[in-house]
Amino acid sequence: MKDGSGEDQNVAPSVYSHVSRPGSHRYKNAKKGLPFNVMLVGESGLGRTTFLNTLCERMVVSKAEKTNTEQAHIAEPMQFKHHTVEMEEDGMKIILNIIDTPGFGDGIDNENCFMQIQEYLESQFDEVLAEENRIKRNTKFKDSRVHALVYFITPTGHSLREIDIEMMRRLGSRVNIIPVIGRSDSLTPRELVLFKQRIMNDIAQYEIPVFSFPNGEDEEDEETVEENAELRAMMPFAVVGCEEVVNEDGRPVRVRNYPWGMVQVDNDEHSDFDRLRYVLLNSHIGDLRDRTQNEIYELYRTEKLSGATVADAMDDMGGLQHGAQMASVA
Amino acid sequence: MSASDANSSAKTQTTSGGIGIANLPNQLHKIVTKKGTNLSIMVVGESGTGKTTFINTLLTTELIEPLEDAARRKKQMDKTVDINIHKAELEEKMFNVKLNVVDTPGFGDYVNNNDCWLPVVDFIENQYEQYLRQEQQPVRKGVVDMRVHACLYFIRPNGHTLKPLDVRAMKAIGARVNLIPVIAKADTLSPTALRQFKKRVMDVIDAQSIRIYQPPVESDDEAMTVRNKDIISAVPFAIIGSTQEVKTADGRHVKGRQYPWGVAEVENDQHCDFKKLRSLLIRTHMLDLISTTEEVHYDKYRTTQMKTRKFGEPKPRKVDNKKFREEEEMLRKRFTEKVKLEENRFRQWEQKLIAERDRLNKDLEQEHNLVKQLESEIEAISNVNSPNGKFFRK
Repeated sequence: MKDGSGEDQNVAPSVYSHVSRPGSHRYKNAKKGLPFNVMLVGESGLGRTTFLNTLCERMVVSKAEKTNTEQAHIAEPMQFKHHTVEMEEDGMKIILNIIDTPGFGDGIDNENCFMQIQEYLESQFDEVLAEENRIKRNTKFKDSRVHALVYFITPTGHSLREIDIEMMRRLGSRVNIIPVIGRSDSLTPRELVLFKQRIMNDIAQYEIPVFSFPNGEDEEDEETVEENAELRAMMPFAVVGCEEVVNEDGRPVRVRNYPWGMVQVDNDEHSDFDRLRYVLLNSHIGDLRDRTQNEIYELYRTEKLSGATVADAMDDMGGLQHGAQMASVA
Repeated sequence: MSASDANSSAKTQTTSGGIGIANLPNQLHKIVTKKGTNLSIMVVGESGTGKTTFINTLLTTELIEPLEDAARRKKQMDKTVDINIHKAELEEKMFNVKLNVVDTPGFGDYVNNNDCWLPVVDFIENQYEQYLRQEQQPVRKGVVDMRVHACLYFIRPNGHTLKPLDVRAMKAIGARVNLIPVIAKADTLSPTALRQFKKRVMDVIDAQSIRIYQPPVESDDEAMTVRNKDIISAVPFAIIGSTQEVKTADGRHVKGRQYPWGVAEVENDQHCDFKKLRSLLIRTHMLDLISTTEEVHYDKYRTTQMKTRKFGEPKPRKVDNKKFREEEEMLRKRFTEKVKLEENRFRQWEQKLIAERDRLNKDLEQEHNLVKQLESEIEAISNVNSPNGKFFRK
């Protein structure tokens, strides 16, 4: 097993506990615990599992069971693995549901992966839709719509790959996508800056819909606006996962240990992990939930409900439309 | 009796002075030094694994220029695997090496990477084919030898295992050329993780019967044997590449990558296996790579080809790539269209000619009729002057 695996609790030093960021309590304190559903997507080896463990501050998933070497030439199909962890953040109780997707992008032909995720996302919406339309509704209904999708980008140092572009393009309208750079400790600071720039250029050029920390409609709080702008400038977040916890001056520090130095996971100069964690579990948890409910779900709902009628109308108008087209050509 | 005498004298010849056979290696050295040699290395792997940087680090010169952003973006959408050849001539202490580096941009970069190793395999086999053909020519001077002597396969450092794509590609490539697996960007794996990953990769390679290059271990020189064993134990080689010089915490200037938490050095055996790989490729095993290619891989190809083909016959074309088939279809369509156009033109021309001919014929007929008419008139008038004419006088 790996070093430091004897530690099954890697607790983040709570650097921010005494600092109250503006607007951190955006969501009403739910006594039962606020459900928050996050999906992690990315090719294997980009630190998804480690990210999960580091985020939850405990060993939620141990390193994956290695498959048979004789089966190594066969691609494993993508799976959806659910984990639930209760977290406490700034006095707020969160029920964190994480959906991991091992097998994404690991095959030779990965066309199917997008479809599978899209179907998953849409089926959660369908369930809510069905529930809304029930005569007698279930008060204990568990909302499993995905509030945020953390997408891991390979640190090539160049720009987005075809799979990244396709993935975010196709799913951006069904979920809040937060792109992150996995294993970002393979890039020097300068390379990281350039890489982030190129990625944002690609995102702009291909019009890829990602969650870009939008300000609310009547957002007046200047600090919030500033914070959002700051976060936008940081995108995509560079993350590294914690491999072990060492003792430094009596405090536990989460690190990755190399022969040439030690990467501190929670150090803002080494990685953006802490900031991302704060965004997900604290400052923007409300925004992410709200946007999922008010914008993404509503869009899906409209499409789904009017889908039938639009198609019929198209059939009737089919001849007319065609005729109109011919006329305009002539 | 004289025969046995001659025999015994032949045996004693070697110990006294000799006839100079022992000088042959020196002569060979001079010949080889003058002739120089030809070395072809291929780098295969997904984009962003550090292939270009590695080659430039190895040769301490920027042989391959990194792609610009716009070009790279365009390549992302083009869904093909290209073969790019970069040539260089290296000289060190009067010894020339003509180096060819073959790059494969587009390999494994797309959503659907089916058969992406086929262009690589085709290239390798084509070089054998070219060499085979040239050898069969009546004039064999100036043979161009582009046979690949070593293929470096760059594995992504995902820390778990080989991907199915890696397995299939390496299997196909390793059967045809000296395959050397390399772990790219190894500075993202901690020493423990790296050890486990290497073991795992080798386990998969064994289980899947992937053939990789095995350098010879035993040698006359004890130190060499130790060094060889050292090199072999490092497979697959963990690589960090950098062409930049940076300063370490203790003031040394080294080639490396500077992080906020330290400097990962390229030429430090504790940090990566770059020096071992460089030794393998150039310093100690270059000759073995070349001779293995010629004696084992090329020979295998030659044998299988000659069993089925007659001397001098061209290679039968395989079923083509889908993309090529599409292109062929398009070309064929264009060709038939062009032919149709021309035919139409000719037909119109022909019709015009026919119309012209008919018109002329008509004119001719008219004239003919006119002439006939005149003739009959003349005849009529001449008949008036004839004996029976008084009957016709008005």
